[in-house]
Amino acid sequence: MSAMSLRSLNLPGVGTKYEFETDKGDTVAIFFTKTGTIQMYTLQKGCKTPSAAEMTPVEARRLGNILTGAIIEADQESVEIAFSALADLRVTIHSFLIPKSITGRTIEDLQIRTKTGATVIAVCRHDRNIVNPAPTFVFENGDAALVIGESDQIKRFEREIMVD
Amino acid sequence: MEGIVLALFLCLILALITRYLSVPAIPFYILGGIVLGKAGLGLVTSDEISVFFSEMGLIFLLFFMGLGLKPERILANRSAVVTSGVIDLNVNMILGFVAAYLLGFSIIESIIVACAFYISSTAMAITSIIENRKLMLRESETVIWLMVFEDLILIIFLTLISAGNQNLIVFVAKILGVLAVLYVLALYGKEFLISILDRDDELPILFTFAAVLTTASFSMYLGIPETMMVIALGVAFATTDPDAFEQHARPFKDVFLIVFFVFFGVTIDFSGGMNWFVIMIICLLAIVSKLLSGVLTGIAIHGSALSGLEIWGNTISRGEFSIAIAVLYGSPLVGTTIAAMVIVTSIIGSFTAKYSSSIRRGIINFGRKKSPHYRIHAGR
Repeated sequence: MSAMSLRSLNLPGVGTKYEFETDKGDTVAIFFTKTGTIQMYTLQKGCKTPSAAEMTPVEARRLGNILTGAIIEADQESVEIAFSALADLRVTIHSFLIPKSITGRTIEDLQIRTKTGATVIAVCRHDRNIVNPAPTFVFENGDAALVIGESDQIKRFEREIMVD
Repeated sequence: MEGIVLALFLCLILALITRYLSVPAIPFYILGGIVLGKAGLGLVTSDEISVFFSEMGLIFLLFFMGLGLKPERILANRSAVVTSGVIDLNVNMILGFVAAYLLGFSIIESIIVACAFYISSTAMAITSIIENRKLMLRESETVIWLMVFEDLILIIFLTLISAGNQNLIVFVAKILGVLAVLYVLALYGKEFLISILDRDDELPILFTFAAVLTTASFSMYLGIPETMMVIALGVAFATTDPDAFEQHARPFKDVFLIVFFVFFGVTIDFSGGMNWFVIMIICLLAIVSKLLSGVLTGIAIHGSALSGLEIWGNTISRGEFSIAIAVLYGSPLVGTTIAAMVIVTSIIGSFTAKYSSSIRRGIINFGRKKSPHYRIHAGR
């Protein structure tokens, strides 16, 4: 068993609790309460009173993204997912606001896959999501694209495609 | 009809204010009812509609309790749950009974008072633990399980007292029979139930409402009270998808239960005689006896009397179940006493729950300040 053993527990009427102890002996506990909020407690080794933060699901997801090491900017964010079982495979999903320079052009026409290796997996347009857009998909002003790839491919996408 | 609208409107305002101040709403709903009703301004009287709504409130409260009651969970945590549960039961039930009897209630009335005196408010305890960010404390876990144990005792109590003149063995056998039928239905109908609950039209909510009401209506034919029927339904449904049922039953529970609380207040009648002395003693003892059981539990489970203080802080409040007992079985005098106890303990309980950690720290610091003095004296 690793030093970081995760304990999960169902508390009647309250919700689910996840708790683990770090290598240094600090304790972190997360509670998903039935009221829909998420509470995170941290207890420093040797201390008796934990400190707590209460979060909405959206805030908790943001915190999760930060903890996975992803860069978070004001309107564009990315998540890096690591699969330790698959030879430590790491994929990054990044959101981009489509610049004026490429509105009106299609995915095929921009040669996104050939030039960068990254793939556009979804586009958000007027609060509607288009998942797995076809190569003939035309970008419009105000679109936000979700791009998946290795971090180098994402960087190349930013450099080659997102130019103004 | 105007009465219920007025009452609901008052509750809406009270809900807004209590939320804003983060104090429990239940005592204020009851107080609101008292002000509007017989004992107060006399603006609202209970009628057929309010009685029906109140009954729905009680039924959905107990259905919810059944849903949260998973016997296998209790078995998994047996030793700690049973130890704290038995301490809590003995201390509070006995103290409550003796006090009520000595204060002049009849034996039956004293049993009713004792049970209402014993059972803490699950809703208020859990809300205060979450809102005061105490989930990580080990004492909180003890309190959460204590609430489950109390629910079990309440079911046993309801069974015993609602058997009335019936043969107890036959009565229990009938209840177990109903439970077995519902269990089998839930087991074989599980996929059907889940397929209904997964839909996003009006069916899940309609189904939940109809299932609870239908089950309750069967009570007439079987000679089993509605309360037992809906608890059994909850326990059986808990084997399918309890979270979905909770989600669909919650709107009914929330609204009807508020009607239940406010009309409990409306029907309170002081003309039947009110003994302030009796009420004061019961309220005071209700707080002291939970301190006693809390400290004993703290020592038994956590090896610390101070832990007991934390348990005490979160279990003082009596609430929904005490009122349910008063409504189901209480005479007017018992009802008034329980109402007062709920109001006083839940308001005090909200403060003790908020400040229990500070109280605890205060005692530790006080102890530290004292000890050097002691040493100086000893050194002389």
